[in-house]
Amino acid sequence: MLDKKIINYILEELHGGQSDLEILPEDDLLGSGLVESMGMMRLIQFVEEDNGIKIPPQDMTIENFMTVAAMVDYIERTKNNG
Amino acid sequence: MIYLLPHTITLSAHRFPDREAFRFGKNSLTYREMDKRMNQLAGTLHSLKIKKGDRVGIYLNRSIETAIAIFGIMQAGAVYVPIDPKAPVERSQFLIEDCDIEILITQPVQKRKITQIISDKNNIRAIIGLPEMGEIQALSWEVVFAASAEFTLPFRILEIDLAYIIYTSGSTGKPKGIMHSHYSGLAYARLTTELYNITEKDRIGNHAPIHFDISTMGYFTSPYAGACTVIVSDAQTIFPASLGKLMEDEALTIWYSVPLALIQVVQNGVLENKNLPHLRWVLYGGEPFPPKYLRTLMTQWSNTRFCNVYGPAEVNQCTYYHLPGLPENDEPIPIGAVWNNTDYLVVDESENSVVPGTTGELLIRSATQMLGYWRNPELTEKSLYKVTDSTGQERAFYKTGDLVKEEAGLLHFLGRKDFQVKIRGYRVELGEVEARLITHAAVREAAVYSVRASDESQKIMAAVILNKEVAVSEDELLQYLKEKLPLYAVPEELKILTNFPRTSSGKIKRGALEFFKLEEK
Repeated sequence: MLDKKIINYILEELHGGQSDLEILPEDDLLGSGLVESMGMMRLIQFVEEDNGIKIPPQDMTIENFMTVAAMVDYIERTKNNG
Repeated sequence: MIYLLPHTITLSAHRFPDREAFRFGKNSLTYREMDKRMNQLAGTLHSLKIKKGDRVGIYLNRSIETAIAIFGIMQAGAVYVPIDPKAPVERSQFLIEDCDIEILITQPVQKRKITQIISDKNNIRAIIGLPEMGEIQALSWEVVFAASAEFTLPFRILEIDLAYIIYTSGSTGKPKGIMHSHYSGLAYARLTTELYNITEKDRIGNHAPIHFDISTMGYFTSPYAGACTVIVSDAQTIFPASLGKLMEDEALTIWYSVPLALIQVVQNGVLENKNLPHLRWVLYGGEPFPPKYLRTLMTQWSNTRFCNVYGPAEVNQCTYYHLPGLPENDEPIPIGAVWNNTDYLVVDESENSVVPGTTGELLIRSATQMLGYWRNPELTEKSLYKVTDSTGQERAFYKTGDLVKEEAGLLHFLGRKDFQVKIRGYRVELGEVEARLITHAAVREAAVYSVRASDESQKIMAAVILNKEVAVSEDELLQYLKEKLPLYAVPEELKILTNFPRTSSGKIKRGALEFFKLEEK
């Protein structure tokens, strides 16, 4: 599952496997401080590499990346259009 | 009469009760509502037995609550201390202990971090903004907003009294608290209102977090002028495309931020076809703006005026330079002239005034000057240059530590005094090396720093972030510098990185670069 994979990346790579964290697909990643600016850039890079897509700057928006669910939705749309 | 910062809210609530005071996302508060919220919070703080001059910590992300917290605390006769929620737990604890903070103002999203911050070593006794916090008294925002809006301060506060403390990193590694009064805050509000002709019709984009003094325009000037401050969200600061959209959708008339925020917008090309007709002023400060990006932005927003703002947090702002047109070359932009209600000196190493055209340290005496460093009279004393005038009055200038040169009435920033290194006896301004490096087309950002070699000599090092499209090698960049700089000023090593260590306000932490390269693979 795509959302599990992204959540796993946030937990393992951005939080160093901190075990007391729980992230839901609907959580506001930035508002909650779960992901910060550099983390978001790494996360976007991960999403690009993992899905073989290139995200143009105009698509890097709050609407597409605020939550894991929004990311999954964006990735699926991009893949279907590509 | 306005002599305390919260008076600006009350006065604007009389003049423009239904105009928007603060806006954040879909939330907004009119001046009438803001005045009410401020008094409700002040009353709540007094129900917690707050005393005159008590420090209250604000532990909030960018949000509309920041405005309520800032003014509620000052209205209660207390002192606000912003604590960056993104800072490490130890740093937050240091601030809380250093300032004897007993009450924190926050939001439910910060609960996890607050739990980590509270320890036996600090005296936190109440949290506002959380419904519950174990054994510590907690009052939710709902409780605050149900409180009475009738509030009268039970004691007297003067304009020269402490209003807020902003912490910056000290060179010793221990953060230092810069103390500002209502007087210095209001002086800043008055000077900026006059300089940029700000009125109730303005909509000011506030990008800076509240622990950064650039935020005083959005939080002090705006209420003073009756304008509206649009608080940029943390998420919008991360996505340039969303930031560009906000600037357009909110019809901002004034923008003030560090250059980085605007550079990212330029680089991502998200502004194409956005000419922002309402934008009157773009102010930038905190760091130099590389002319190559400034030129792109100024061409894009041809009806907007641009101003280079300069001033260490100790004096807030002290100089300004309104760009007369597109920068013609890649020379750094001047910091301009000292503004009103401010005096200055440029002195050499023996603290003697230098003639214009000679490099020296800039000293500033201003109405916007700090009261001093929190509980650090020695450091305060060390930061001041005192002269006794003919009437026997002592005048204290703040030593900025910045090197400047005055030419044709304009001050030019040349770098930090401690950013100057001696290489084999030659004096090198690291800032100058940086400015040369950034002129290379492939270079997106550059940072030059010095390291001490094992034989105690200093070495110049450089790190750059490249533009994605252009390929260039480390050696090619060094070669480029060799053509532009004396050999002793060319860095020994140059690293291409994908990121720089930065402060929470986006400034490059040059001091951390030496260690940063180790993490970069």
